[in-house]
Amino acid sequence: MKQILIGLLFISLYQPVFAMEHGGMIMDETGMIMNANPDQLPRDCPQISENKDITIHAGQQYAEKFTGKMFAFDTQEWNVKPCAKINITFINDDQIRHQLMIHGLPGYLYPDGMFHLELNGTGQLQASLILPSQKKTYLVHCELPQHMEKGMKAQLKVEGGDGDLPSIPGISEPIKADLYNTNWNQLSYAILAFSILIGAAIVLMSVIYSEQLTRLLAKLGAKLKRNSPSDLH
Amino acid sequence: MAGAIYIIYYTYPHQYNKAGINPPDTIYNQAKDNSNIEKPCSNLHPEWRAAQVIEDVSINASPDCEPDNPYEVATSVRGTNNVSMGTLMHTDFAQDALIMGEDLDKDGDPDIINIKLEVVELNGSSPDGEFLINTFDVAPGIQPGLWVYAPKSRGMAVKNYNSLVSNPLLRAPSPVIRVEQGDKVYVTLENTHYLPHTIHLHGVDHPWMTAKGEDNDGMEEHAVFPGKSHTYEIHPRHVGTMLYHCHVQTAQHFMMGLGGMFIVEENHPNNWLQTFNVGAGVVRHPSVAVKKEYNQEYDLHYQSIDKKLAHIIQEANDPRLVAQHMARDYNMTESFENYFLLNGHSFPYTLRDSMIISSENEDIKLHVANFQRSAIALHIHGHKATITALDGVDLTQAQQITRDVLDMATAQRNDVHLKTQNDGLHSYGPGLWMFHDHVPTGTTTDGIEPGGNMAILAYKALLDEHGMPKMHEHLLDQVFNKEYYAKRQAVWTEGSFAALLGDAGILEPNYLQMLLFGAAIGLLVGLFVLLILVIKRKFKS
Repeated sequence: MKQILIGLLFISLYQPVFAMEHGGMIMDETGMIMNANPDQLPRDCPQISENKDITIHAGQQYAEKFTGKMFAFDTQEWNVKPCAKINITFINDDQIRHQLMIHGLPGYLYPDGMFHLELNGTGQLQASLILPSQKKTYLVHCELPQHMEKGMKAQLKVEGGDGDLPSIPGISEPIKADLYNTNWNQLSYAILAFSILIGAAIVLMSVIYSEQLTRLLAKLGAKLKRNSPSDLH
Repeated sequence: MAGAIYIIYYTYPHQYNKAGINPPDTIYNQAKDNSNIEKPCSNLHPEWRAAQVIEDVSINASPDCEPDNPYEVATSVRGTNNVSMGTLMHTDFAQDALIMGEDLDKDGDPDIINIKLEVVELNGSSPDGEFLINTFDVAPGIQPGLWVYAPKSRGMAVKNYNSLVSNPLLRAPSPVIRVEQGDKVYVTLENTHYLPHTIHLHGVDHPWMTAKGEDNDGMEEHAVFPGKSHTYEIHPRHVGTMLYHCHVQTAQHFMMGLGGMFIVEENHPNNWLQTFNVGAGVVRHPSVAVKKEYNQEYDLHYQSIDKKLAHIIQEANDPRLVAQHMARDYNMTESFENYFLLNGHSFPYTLRDSMIISSENEDIKLHVANFQRSAIALHIHGHKATITALDGVDLTQAQQITRDVLDMATAQRNDVHLKTQNDGLHSYGPGLWMFHDHVPTGTTTDGIEPGGNMAILAYKALLDEHGMPKMHEHLLDQVFNKEYYAKRQAVWTEGSFAALLGDAGILEPNYLQMLLFGAAIGLLVGLFVLLILVIKRKFKS
């Protein structure tokens, strides 16, 4: 495999000076790895807390277990300890391009706050990164047009994370939800008619038994009055 | 009571009212927000305009406001496998987007060409909020949902993590593809989209089956499903301007933008072609044959959009809903064309990247293709041009016609020889000559003129240093404004006529009239209640 490291050029264009020794990009005709970090500790991490191997599959077939999606990863959520080192094996099972991007990482280790794996077609890649100690939920997605929107979206939680991201398949609701047809049938109309009858009955009954009702209300009112002054003082 | 009814009748508050002796004042500017005004030319890459040599590829000058990226041109000529990593990094191409293979006939240029295309949705919806993603504006503030083929790209599909705007490779129209006669061309469709698509090579010499006996005509029954890829094999014997387009749910997918020009050039020694002309327009590295006869070459891709069809992908996210709404709920026989694009843009954006820019006494080759639903009648002001080929078949000298309206039905192509020789026939001399579809709707953007596919045949002396037309300052200020295409600006706002042709103001309500009306209504209601009480009392007693 012919791999071309163009670290210098890329760093000089896009990266802050203090990130020069790590990060960078490895690219060939099968795909690319950007901002892998197997050894640089985040500032807030005295040491690596755990070494976690994660295999992530990407493909159209993983969307089949969800409704209304077309692309997905095989897993939608990962949980790791603060300062964990994650060794990712990214496998693309489709005949098209997919990406695995993790956003919101510290910029001094990961230029643009981003860790990025990309496979030009069926194949696999391996790369590591080290997470800071902050309790946080990171977005993991494929950024090809409409891939995240159609299901290729997941989350990586450090120490349980700080909440769920929206529209993760099987986990969280979308912010802008689709509208679906509803099955109003005879039973639903019967239930509707019945509830109208009940509503009418309530009014009728209260007219018929108005005297009893008034007495009941008066009793209740008196009881409330008796109880409330003690609360006030 | 009769009096009250009389007052109600005469004081009824209407939406539109007479103004009396002096009609309301003129409103000059209804725009609430100046952020909707755009710079005519942002001049992002002035260094891209000059003629230059990259990767030993000579790239012609392009004085436009937004010239084609010369690194993209060089990579389109050499192939992604033959350029340095530095050059490739100046583009958004994937490293396997265009692989140039063996020189089969040993004439100094590659003859095995591997092209990879992806399907990209522009101005699509997102479940994460009320915004569109991978945006591509066709005119100020106009973002119709679009599907395009795009050369296989890499990295971020948006400009950066904080942007929703597509990277420059992802745009309308689908790119023009150029190959040489006799090349062995492999076009791989990698379906990155969430619906099935194909590539049908309209007019391009291709066998019906591939060597392996698989589909090679891109028909509906052999759709390439999401996540899958398929390679079409071409070995074209015939030269000419052809097309490629999706043949799945063709009426809808064609109108969504899945079609581009496919041009087969003559075989010549050392004929390195610009395989992709992203965004169509000027060809900055023309073929050997074109260079012999012409000074310049342009690809003109005319396309129309039905805004209701285009909106379908913006109102639902679930692929099942999109499929249902587009294929069954929407009736394509009730389709209208609302936006008219030349090379993916409507006026005034056509001025940024789709002008024909010439000096006097030039011979210019135009490849014109009609991807619209309706016919076009292309008129170039101040010039009469000669049709040299129809639908990829050359015309003999006797068959060639010189005229000033070029009519083309849907999917037809004209190869055109445009001369800028000031002889009173071919050209009437230097100018900023407009060229546009003369079908009246073609120059509008959802009914707003000037818009649509209007562009300019510009003589160089009349362009400013940013490649924008001189003497158009007022017009440019007016139309590079989202408010104009949102139909909130008056058309004529120039000089002293602004007061005469600007928007008429609105009337203040006549409060006295309203008081009378309200009081009369109240009186009637009161009388009515009184009447009921009186009747009730009588009834009781």
